[in-house]
Amino acid sequence: MSTRLHSVTKSFGDLHALQNINLEVKEGEFVAIVGPSGCGKSTLLRLLAGFDRPTHGEITIGETMAANASEALPPEKRSIGMVFQSFALWPHMRVQEQIMFPLQHRSSKKMSKNDKQKRVEEVLSLTGMTAFADRMPHQLSGGQKQRVALARAIVASPSLLLMDEPLSSLDAELRSAMRQEIQRIHKHSGATIVYVTHDQEEALAMADRIVVMQNGQIEQAGTPRGIYYYPATAFAATFVSKANIIPGVWNHSTFHPFNRSHTFWEKPKVAPFFQKKSIFPARPDELILIGEVQKDGLQGVIKNVQFQGTYIQYTVSVEETDLTVHADILQNFAPGDTVTLQLKESSIKGIGLKQA
Amino acid sequence: MFHSTGLKKERGTPPLSFLLSALAKRRIFGGISLLLLFIFFVLPLLRLVELSFSGEEGFTFSVYQEVWREASTWTTLWNTVIIVGVSTLFSAGGGLLAAIIVAYSDIRGKSIMHLFILLPFVIPSYIVTLAWTQLFSSNGWVAALLEKLPGDIAVVNLYSMGGIIFVLSISHFPLVYLLTVSVLRRIPRELEAAARVSGAGKWQTFRTVYWPLALPGLAGGGLLAFLASLDNFGIPAFLGIPANIPVLSTAIYQEIAGFGPQAFSRAAVLASLLGAAALIGTLFQWLLTKKSQNHETSYEDTAPRFTFGKYRKYAEIIIWSFLFIISIIPLTAMAAASLSPAFGAPFRLDTITFEHYRFLLAGNSQVSGAITNSLTLALITTFAALVIGTTIAYFRVYRPSAFSKSAELSIALPYALPGTVLALALIFTWMQPVPGWNPGVYGSIWILIIAYITRFTILQGRASTTAFMQIGQSMQEAARSSGAGFFSLWRKIMIPLMLSGLAGGAFLVFLSALAELTVSALLWSSGNETIGVMIFQFEQAGYTTHSTAFSSLIVGGMAVIGIGLLLLKKRLEKRGVTA
Repeated sequence: MSTRLHSVTKSFGDLHALQNINLEVKEGEFVAIVGPSGCGKSTLLRLLAGFDRPTHGEITIGETMAANASEALPPEKRSIGMVFQSFALWPHMRVQEQIMFPLQHRSSKKMSKNDKQKRVEEVLSLTGMTAFADRMPHQLSGGQKQRVALARAIVASPSLLLMDEPLSSLDAELRSAMRQEIQRIHKHSGATIVYVTHDQEEALAMADRIVVMQNGQIEQAGTPRGIYYYPATAFAATFVSKANIIPGVWNHSTFHPFNRSHTFWEKPKVAPFFQKKSIFPARPDELILIGEVQKDGLQGVIKNVQFQGTYIQYTVSVEETDLTVHADILQNFAPGDTVTLQLKESSIKGIGLKQA
Repeated sequence: MFHSTGLKKERGTPPLSFLLSALAKRRIFGGISLLLLFIFFVLPLLRLVELSFSGEEGFTFSVYQEVWREASTWTTLWNTVIIVGVSTLFSAGGGLLAAIIVAYSDIRGKSIMHLFILLPFVIPSYIVTLAWTQLFSSNGWVAALLEKLPGDIAVVNLYSMGGIIFVLSISHFPLVYLLTVSVLRRIPRELEAAARVSGAGKWQTFRTVYWPLALPGLAGGGLLAFLASLDNFGIPAFLGIPANIPVLSTAIYQEIAGFGPQAFSRAAVLASLLGAAALIGTLFQWLLTKKSQNHETSYEDTAPRFTFGKYRKYAEIIIWSFLFIISIIPLTAMAAASLSPAFGAPFRLDTITFEHYRFLLAGNSQVSGAITNSLTLALITTFAALVIGTTIAYFRVYRPSAFSKSAELSIALPYALPGTVLALALIFTWMQPVPGWNPGVYGSIWILIIAYITRFTILQGRASTTAFMQIGQSMQEAARSSGAGFFSLWRKIMIPLMLSGLAGGAFLVFLSALAELTVSALLWSSGNETIGVMIFQFEQAGYTTHSTAFSSLIVGGMAVIGIGLLLLKKRLEKRGVTA
């Protein structure tokens, strides 16, 4: 049962929150929607949930028409589960009552009381909350609340599980643990997930497919590796792979950064967007620094050094442009050093996505 | 991102023609409700202003001019300015001091202290007055104490300007306290730390950080005390009328009670003045609250910020004695007076008599009628306010529009105005709503029902608004995305979460209506007395033993209801639902 958006537009007065969105989420797929705040990703989620109605276009879930400009199936009639950024646990209900709630109101009404209780227990153990079944929300930690929210969202086995920045109110360590949890639950339940986040790392780590959004439009949709290594636009390159955008001249698949005719950067599979705009997307790990000054090389001056443990992050100034480079830990440059920048060998060959 | 709160948007929408007719229906429904709100809540005030300008041949300033020329008007205005002004200052000072101590100091038992501070405000002001007059009566406890002391110190006469100011300040300093204490707690303590590490001393920190941040709250509370003093009828009626010290609210009452020629027009002029002053004060208050909300964090930090050190015990003794004197002792003196055989007889254990209570509860049909009337009125008002106030609050919070805004404004207006002004406006409106037609509302219990509902609905409205706002949008969305339809949403999520807030509002409305005096004093009619009116009449007729006994009964009843509500709240809090 796949979920489809056909040319969906959503406007709030003059503000176009979503413009002509076409997207299909396949059954069992984990799709992450990433983008900066205000890009329309949460609006998209609210449309999928049924809290809002599109201005144009239509949304189908499976074979049913969920919403178009004139009618919309309300959220309670859709087979969805939702995890909120604020957890949204009802303060007056025990953990197991929260999880029982969707079973009492969804089509699972036919389930016997016994089966419902069994299902609650199953989900409690899946999320590791069995010991906390009788707790009230205010007696739980942030991570535990998130588990309950997750359990509540999946208990009725919804066709579509919606997650709205579910990890952003947790601290870094817990976030990483919850990522694993969500991946495990996805695998175990086979649920279709639409996951909204502004954190590209979260999206890269968990999703089958990433949808990059900006200004109410889809910039690029593809696998995490596809987008990371082969961004289609400058925005996707900077937002997902944190790439430097370097000006220069393209000659077929050869790039001359900063118009240096003697410097050749090969990039066979670059998106036409970059050739058209005469720019090159270079990830910090794609660039290498060489200490000796080469006559025809691309020279820059080290402006800032940040030791990161596994690598060192340099800010290198080339012709007034600041570039970020993640260099090997064995190299040591100090601010003020002059260095030569080169493109990594592996980057030229390209990374085969098939075996990835 | 986008805060679209309109629930209407997500509903499926039928075809265009149906949509249009539904829209028209909503318009009609909305229009009718606005019209009703206008007729009951706003129109009376317009009638009042109109009447103040009407003479025998249409529009005229003559009544204004006439009232203006009289020396008594100026005496009344002057009294009002002095009494309201000075008592506001005292209330602000006392309220601030109490707020600083409760919010920041390290004394113990703050939550009980909080209740004690609020006591003089929660108890109807005419009952507070009655209690104080018993304490200070010529054969009361203070007089007895002074007699034992050397020298010849006479008891302070409360039936004076100073007495009115004193009781007003006692009754209204809790208002300032209440507003200021929450503002003080919301000032982040890091701001103090930041000032101190930047080199500011304790006093400089207070002056440059705390004072400017607390000022909007203090000023807002001060304005509320100002409005409450302007509005107050009970205190100047019990103390000022016998001493012939009129203020605007009692002057209006006396015009109407005196029933002289032109009494209504003259009262209308005074009421218009009083109403205008109150509205200007309300406007300032509103602007201030709006401004002060910007600094605040939502978090109330209740941990102490300064310590009395080794003097803490002494500080506690002083503070508790003070609270005891202003809240418990007068009430005890009143209870003692109600148990003595006759007014003026000193309180002695062997002469205790329950005769006055027996008289009230069994012997007098007028009294039992008044109790029945007030209970009925309070119940009807509570129910109506619950329905009207909560409905308007719902629209105000979830479907904000010009419609919901004007609805809220129209129910807020009658409460912003002094009670005497509202009562007068209602008389003018319902005496002859259409020239030549008297529906008999004025002179029956109906005028009281209308008055109470118009006056107190806003209290429930505010409580319900707060309750709705505390339920985040995501609480509802979580329920709906879990499959809950309209009824499940309300039954299982909304109502349980709002219960404590709704009950708090309903409790406030019920108590306000039960012991109401200001509006009732002008609108009662024979057979339709209320509790407040009965106590007022007993007091005016000199039956002090009856008025004190009746008041003690009311205080006891309020205590029972109050404790009940506290227990309910505790229980809900235990379940994790914070009010």
